[in-house]
Amino acid sequence: MDHTPSRFTGATRYVLDPELAGIVNISMALEMPLLLKGEPGTGKTMLAHAIADSLGMPLIVLNVKSSMKLVEALYQYDTLTRLNDSRFGDSVRNVSNIEEYIKMGKIGRAFTSETRSVLLIDEIDKADTDFQDDMLDVLDQMEFDIIEIDKVVKAVHRPVIIITSNAKKDLSDPFLGRCNFHHIAFPDPKMMRKILDVHFPGLDENLMESAIAAFYKLRELEAVEKKPATRELINWIRALRSDPDFKPKKLLKGEAPFLGVLFKKSGDYQRAAEFTNRRRLF
Amino acid sequence: MFIDFFYTLKNAGVPVSPTAFLTLHKALGKGLVHSLDDFYVTARSVLVKSERYFDLFDQVFAHHFEGAELPDAEGVEVDEMARALLEEWLKNPELLAKALDVDESELSDLTPEELIDYFKERLKEQTEAHHGGNKWIGAGGTSPVGHSGYHPGGMRVGGVSRNKSAVKVAMDRRYKDYSLEGPLTPSMMNEALKRLRNMVPAGPKDRVNLDETLYQTMKNAGEIEIIFERSLKDRLKVILAIDNGGWSMDPYIPMVQTLFNYARAQFKEIKTFFFHNTVYDYIYEDPARYKKPRKVSDMARLDSETRLIMVGDASMAPYELMTADGSIHIEERSGRSSLEQLRFLSETFPHSVWLNPVPERMWRYTQTVSMIRRIFPMFELSIDGLEGAVARLMEKS
Repeated sequence: MDHTPSRFTGATRYVLDPELAGIVNISMALEMPLLLKGEPGTGKTMLAHAIADSLGMPLIVLNVKSSMKLVEALYQYDTLTRLNDSRFGDSVRNVSNIEEYIKMGKIGRAFTSETRSVLLIDEIDKADTDFQDDMLDVLDQMEFDIIEIDKVVKAVHRPVIIITSNAKKDLSDPFLGRCNFHHIAFPDPKMMRKILDVHFPGLDENLMESAIAAFYKLRELEAVEKKPATRELINWIRALRSDPDFKPKKLLKGEAPFLGVLFKKSGDYQRAAEFTNRRRLF
Repeated sequence: MFIDFFYTLKNAGVPVSPTAFLTLHKALGKGLVHSLDDFYVTARSVLVKSERYFDLFDQVFAHHFEGAELPDAEGVEVDEMARALLEEWLKNPELLAKALDVDESELSDLTPEELIDYFKERLKEQTEAHHGGNKWIGAGGTSPVGHSGYHPGGMRVGGVSRNKSAVKVAMDRRYKDYSLEGPLTPSMMNEALKRLRNMVPAGPKDRVNLDETLYQTMKNAGEIEIIFERSLKDRLKVILAIDNGGWSMDPYIPMVQTLFNYARAQFKEIKTFFFHNTVYDYIYEDPARYKKPRKVSDMARLDSETRLIMVGDASMAPYELMTADGSIHIEERSGRSSLEQLRFLSETFPHSVWLNPVPERMWRYTQTVSMIRRIFPMFELSIDGLEGAVARLMEKS
């Protein structure tokens, strides 16, 4: 749910299932990173937000990119500013002191933060395996070197580390060995009702039931590239509610307006449209 | 504590490591676990690292702590066979009905679930093994219908082919998608294929070239001159063509799966094609070799710098390779033999290799292997072979 605007309202907007809560607590006590897998849109990223919120810790998000090097996540040596300062000499920084030109990256910030923080490493599967293994070394040791000034940065407080992965393939063995693992399954209708309750307090019972029924039916469609997930359902309900002409009864009849909110790929959209049209005839 | 549990898990096939087991004990020692539920959650998140094994873990857990029965291997086997029978049934009801000695119409009223149950019953009924018989379903018999049979003019129902030149496979298995996850980890292939890269500058000029900046700044008498450049990106184009037809490739599927998984994750520009035994007029973009044919002759339009990797056992009847109408598919009759098509491919793409999952020592026993070796440099699909193939692909022509 990384695109939900409700970013920092966290725990009040996140339905935590007790099993997952247990796993989070154990990972924190064992001081091990927690690796979360699951379909996109099952709330992996939201969990980190919820933890940070309920524990009152700052959240630091590292969005992994495919071209990323580990150093970028640790620190950055700002050579250009230094060059500029040495040319003009009008800055407050001391040009001969390299340390003043070192900026902390996300992991570096989590290590040097004065309070314990939650470090979310999002979509680790995008980077190559070397990055993953090297990063785990750093997280294991809780320290890294800044080569330019030969200084070791040690973690003041061990951050709570949450790692998410969308990949279907497994990560490397040494990586997995150092993490705890949890797979977030797609919520069942009962759980989904709770989630919707949290997002839309006082939602019309009729609308909720028929929307959930229609949603799970559409999810059963075969050969769909990207199945709609919680995020899509929430946006869909938002769309349905904003349409003054919409009546929940229509859903029961097999009509499904705003299909484009649920199905984002053109092939999927067509398939879903055909499916709903066919159902309406009977 | 729980050492039995650990070994039951290991024996059931869940990959558990001793380190993880020690971590579990650490968790127990910290007093984090107060109930069996807590233990279940802790043990699973610490010991099991992939959702693929969650189900197995649940079964072992239930067995160990609640005394539930472990599913016995035999039951699983019957299940598997029943499912295989169902698949056959869906493809060719007549044939199977005949084999089971029942009326086809009788079975066609049943739902798939009922069919599975029916097949299970039939399989249990067959108490003695019928391997080698000539009437009932069994393995290795000479009945025209059966598993791994060798019946010169008969039809093959499935199984692993023993004599690789089984001519005209009557029923192509139309769906064998290698992209399904295999249990092997690609990390070893990772090592071997790492050198298969072609770094070229690409994209916007958004990276500062520090050395050049300093040089130009000095040249400019200290007036700062910032030099930008394009960052290096891997722009290697790869075509992976996989033999996924027929039964002769079946034993090697896990190996090819690993390669396929790796290739998909690693290369930015990769095209995957499928063919059956060897290449005739068309190769296919879909694993079922049905929907998206591409004319082989059209390949000439692609960049000749593309690396072509063929994967297949290169084993077939010689005439399938050499005669102009060797294809088992009627629609492929262009008058060019497969050998010519292969030669055409290797000329179009000077950087090409053939990976063969069959061990190298077996190659000289199959005639077609040595014929194809004369066209493509052939390497064994093993770590060593891959290294050789990569070196060959990166050679300057």
